[in-house]
Amino acid sequence: MTEQTSTASSAATAPGRTMIKLEGLGKQYPKEPKPAVDNLTLEIPEGEIVILVGPSGCGKTTTMKMINRIIEPTSGRIILDGEDVTKADPDQLRRKIGYVIQQIGLFPHMTIAQNIATVPKLLGWDAKKIDARIDELLQTVSMAPETYRNRYPKQLSGGQRQRVGVARALSGDPAVMLMDEPFGAIDPITRDRLQNEFLRLQAEVRKTIVFVTHDIDEAIKMGDRIAILQEGSRIAQYDTPEQILTAPANDFVADFIGRGASLKRLNLSRVRDIQLSQWPTVQLGEQPSRVLDVLRASDKGFALVLDEQRKPRRWVSAPDLQRDENRPLDQIGLAPEAIVEPQATLNDALNELITANYSVAIVVNASGEYQGIVDIDSITEAIRTMRTDARARARVGLDEDDTVDEAAQVGR
Amino acid sequence: MSEFFDFLGRRYDDLIEVGLEHMYLVGISVLLSTAIGVFIGVTTYRTERPREIALAVTGSFLTIPSFALFILMIPIMGIGAPPVIVALTMYGLLPVVRNTITGLREVDQATVESAKGMGMGRTQRLVRIELPLAWPVIVTGVRVTALVLVGIAAVGAIVDGPGYGTFIFDGLARVGSPAAINLVVSGMLGVIVVAILFDTLLAVLGKLTTSRGIQ
Amino acid sequence: MTSSAAPGAPDLAAAPQAPIAPVRRERRSVGSYVFMPIFLALVCAGLYLYVSNQELDTIEQRALNAGNITAALLEHLRLTAISTVLVILIAIPLGVLLTRPFTGSYRGVLLTLANIGQAVPTIGLLALMGVGALSFIDIDIGVTAAIIALVAYAVLPVLRNTMVGLQQVDESILEAGRGMGIGKFGVLSRIELPLSVPIILAGVRTALVINVGTATLAAYINAGGLGRIIVAGLSTNRITVQITGALLTAVLALLIDYLAGIAEDVLRPKGL
Repeated sequence: MTEQTSTASSAATAPGRTMIKLEGLGKQYPKEPKPAVDNLTLEIPEGEIVILVGPSGCGKTTTMKMINRIIEPTSGRIILDGEDVTKADPDQLRRKIGYVIQQIGLFPHMTIAQNIATVPKLLGWDAKKIDARIDELLQTVSMAPETYRNRYPKQLSGGQRQRVGVARALSGDPAVMLMDEPFGAIDPITRDRLQNEFLRLQAEVRKTIVFVTHDIDEAIKMGDRIAILQEGSRIAQYDTPEQILTAPANDFVADFIGRGASLKRLNLSRVRDIQLSQWPTVQLGEQPSRVLDVLRASDKGFALVLDEQRKPRRWVSAPDLQRDENRPLDQIGLAPEAIVEPQATLNDALNELITANYSVAIVVNASGEYQGIVDIDSITEAIRTMRTDARARARVGLDEDDTVDEAAQVGR
Repeated sequence: MSEFFDFLGRRYDDLIEVGLEHMYLVGISVLLSTAIGVFIGVTTYRTERPREIALAVTGSFLTIPSFALFILMIPIMGIGAPPVIVALTMYGLLPVVRNTITGLREVDQATVESAKGMGMGRTQRLVRIELPLAWPVIVTGVRVTALVLVGIAAVGAIVDGPGYGTFIFDGLARVGSPAAINLVVSGMLGVIVVAILFDTLLAVLGKLTTSRGIQ
Repeated sequence: MTSSAAPGAPDLAAAPQAPIAPVRRERRSVGSYVFMPIFLALVCAGLYLYVSNQELDTIEQRALNAGNITAALLEHLRLTAISTVLVILIAIPLGVLLTRPFTGSYRGVLLTLANIGQAVPTIGLLALMGVGALSFIDIDIGVTAAIIALVAYAVLPVLRNTMVGLQQVDESILEAGRGMGIGKFGVLSRIELPLSVPIILAGVRTALVINVGTATLAAYINAGGLGRIIVAGLSTNRITVQITGALLTAVLALLIDYLAGIAEDVLRPKGL
């Protein structure tokens, strides 16, 4: 289909250069019968988001925190970018690894700019470079630097704090980021938006990211690969989201995914991955008679009114035009809702159009220009294609008796 | 050391009697502070201005050095136990007022609202829901008050107040004589014993008067 | 798993509060800033009018002349300042030390001792130091004895508030700091201590108020201060002298507490 899916599926068989390698990593707390993390081996390819997901208490957070040695492992080795860092100076190590936690942990007594400047200062950057970096990062996370630089964390909303948390983690331009349920404490609507923003950001920065969550839907949406972990951080399956949905390695994985694997697939493909339908459009300021012509020429009851920048402004129907003959087009009809960007998942699009109670979602690009529409039909069609594709791939995999199993075995 | 125990043996009756006086003095003051303090807390906790003023004024009482306050009581109340009790009551207000306000404000609003929904009036809610729920915090305040007052009461000997302060000031008056140290030390130990007694007593009382559902 | 509070560490916040524990205040209204200085000025003015309209005998004149009062005031300020500075120098580092993981086992014992110590009457401690000093050593040692007693008592609130202040800092903030590679000392000096400033300052203010008050009693062990005027009034049975001394003492204590309150507001890090 598209780049996204193809990289993901080929990655299952041919992973890129390994950025982080955990070798027989273990954590045994004193006075506890079983190790929290039991002899874990895992390779994390460069530039990918690898999700550690599992039920609470499975050791996923402990595993992640051993990578920057917030928790010291009791056995095994951590290889970062080819270098054994198991015994390296933890502070030096952490300055090279971005770290985002659920509670965010912004320093309340420092301004946003000071928060972001922390690691660059530790790395000894000069003031000018740090200043420029702060502005750049704030812009990257869609916050106007002149407005937010000198604010304090308590003056921000939850979503804004999360953005600053991400900006702060990126400040030293680390190759690797660790994220512990970064969107866990945020309301569902903002969470969706932040997830999408983060994916767009990742497409630009291409960091190697280890991401912990307990939410399989989030894992499927965010992950290039997912490691489903059982108690003691034992890997139940380590694979691409598609393969996990299509060919769960065992009952544990199948149970963990739960029902509705087809619907979950909607989180896997994005609006830009499917063929957009077209819709009759008219320019703002067009004569009503002209609009009626357009409507008659199509089989649709409504036409979409676009302004000079090709931004969607209104839905108008023939009755609207007849009722309010003399009013401009942008004052009659219905306001356009359910507007999505190409990087939104099909799940987002479906959500939007159900929420807005419209039969189509309008697709616009980053600057808001109309690109096409997505309707229920195209979404159902996409699900069907994905299912057949995935089945076919799974069958090939089983026949050749390598890909799936091998992928599932990675790290054992 | 043995000399000190001889001293305790000789002054045994005296020590007990003075101790009872000390407890009586502090007991009355704690009762008064608690009654007045809870009243102030209950009447001010809902609105910001009165609350601020109540805390500022009772806080200022505690700021005034006890030596000064006892002396300032003389023109109004003369000497002996009464000026000491009034001064102690003033000192004891802040912990009670503060903890009453904190305790009442920490009561879960959902609980109060459901009481409202069941048709309880303002007073009923306060007496049957809010105060019982805030009680452990208030009791902590009363314990702090008792601890503070036991110590300050010793200074009351300046205006001829009863209690272990008399031993301490007697000791000071006899600097140089061997009895001085004995007097001071026994006065101090007496105060500590009274403090521990009060704290234990109030802890038990607090436990007995707190609903088992919130212990 | 995320909580890294040492197991068995006493819950400081739940311990009974220090006698004059901080009232957690929001920013104060303008009225409360203006009221206290005006009130204190009026008290002083009233006192001045009252005293200057009295027929003072020689004893009263000797006690209440400007020179004597100023000297007593300076003695008082010196006692208070020296003891408070010593308290800060002892209690804050000790509080930091006692909140580090390696001191976990001593923490409970020390806090219990501190709590019991709170029950010791200030006058008793002062008298003990004084009686000890005056009986066995040179008489001039009064000031030193007083300072030792003042420090011993006022260390407790600052120590306790330092520990509470450091322990109430949100663990996730510290983890974020460590996760960014700020070293142990950096986390302490740049995150923990600044975030504890309001609570530590409240403890220092408490210590200051205790010291001003206890310094009044220092007159009984020949250590001077405004209490000297009251004691002179008591021993000569001159009510005007007693009242003047007592009022000046009260005004000084309220003024210092007021200034400390302003310092608290000013020194609190922005953003908290």
